[in-house]
Amino acid sequence: MSQRPEDILKVSSKSEDLLDMIERGRAFTLELMGENERLRYRMVQLEAERVSAEEIHRREVAKLQLEADLARQRLEFLDSRFHEIEEENKDFAQRYVEVEEQNESLANLYVASYNLHSTLDPQEVIGCIKEILLNLIGAEEFALYVMDEETGDLSLASYEGDPLSALHADRIAPGEGLEGMVAASGEAFFALDTGDSGEVCACFPLKLKEQVVGVIAIYKLLAHKPLLTELDHRLLELLAGHAATALVSSKLYAQTDRKLKTWEGVMSLLRES
Amino acid sequence: MGRKSLLVVDDSATFRQLLCMSLTRLEGISSADITQACDGADALGKMRATEFDLVLTDVMMPNVNGLELVERVRSELQSRVPIVIISTKGEEAFVEQGMKNGANCYLLKPISLPRLREVVSGLLAM
Repeated sequence: MSQRPEDILKVSSKSEDLLDMIERGRAFTLELMGENERLRYRMVQLEAERVSAEEIHRREVAKLQLEADLARQRLEFLDSRFHEIEEENKDFAQRYVEVEEQNESLANLYVASYNLHSTLDPQEVIGCIKEILLNLIGAEEFALYVMDEETGDLSLASYEGDPLSALHADRIAPGEGLEGMVAASGEAFFALDTGDSGEVCACFPLKLKEQVVGVIAIYKLLAHKPLLTELDHRLLELLAGHAATALVSSKLYAQTDRKLKTWEGVMSLLRES
Repeated sequence: MGRKSLLVVDDSATFRQLLCMSLTRLEGISSADITQACDGADALGKMRATEFDLVLTDVMMPNVNGLELVERVRSELQSRVPIVIISTKGEEAFVEQGMKNGANCYLLKPISLPRLREVVSGLLAM
């Protein structure tokens, strides 16, 4: 079967179109393969990056974990140190208050002893002892006994409180009652409560070295003074020493002064005769 | 707080000295001028001559007692100076009378330094 030239041309044209299409298909396929290669490469890159990021992240987490542990330990240490310092601070504050109280007591003692020794008049010394007991210690009812050297009895020198009270007798024999026992033993007595029902709440000896020269008995404290503190006890004991010295000194001075005046009188009489 | 002028009134020389010593130990008024009076009459005389920033007085005193002193400072001297009563007399009647007469504060002996500091600083800052 013979073909006509037109048909041959037509077929040839179609063939060329087909070839062209195949060529474009090939170019497109190559392009797709290139793109595929690029994408695979990119995928590998991304995969590598992902693995690297995960590793970095993992390491970072581990590092942060370590830092957090260290911070926790540091916090625990600081917390315990803070508590320790807080306790120390409380301790210092407490000691400061105690020192302040002791300073106050020393100042009281200084003023009281200064005043006790500032006079040589026995009555003024007794007045000063009363002032101290009332204003510094807060005693409302008390008695001051001095030792009678001849009989050894305690003789009432002064008192504060109810004059009709039977608490303070005029004379007390050695060893009689609490006052006599304190005078005999030379040891101070401090009751645990205020002695509201007429009991002695404190009784302490006035001692010159080991010699008892008198006794102070506190029967009642001021209503607003609940009890004698440990500091009051120490203050009273120290004051007792000063009071004893002041009492004996003033008594000796008064005796000497009396004798001097007597002798001056005698001498004056002798001169006149 | 500038240089303050204080008047301490008490018939007990021991307590006066003790109070003066305590006052000089208080922060802010350690350099204060402290005048002493041995009773209410003495205090009134001193208050007529000098103006004080604070008066601290006892109650039981000869001549003019502390309660009368407060009353006369307010009525006779027409003074509004802060007055602190410091006494062993803690009975309600004394406290009421003192405050009624015009005292600013009523403290009981024996007085503690922290309480004294609190009251004195407060009144001087007024």
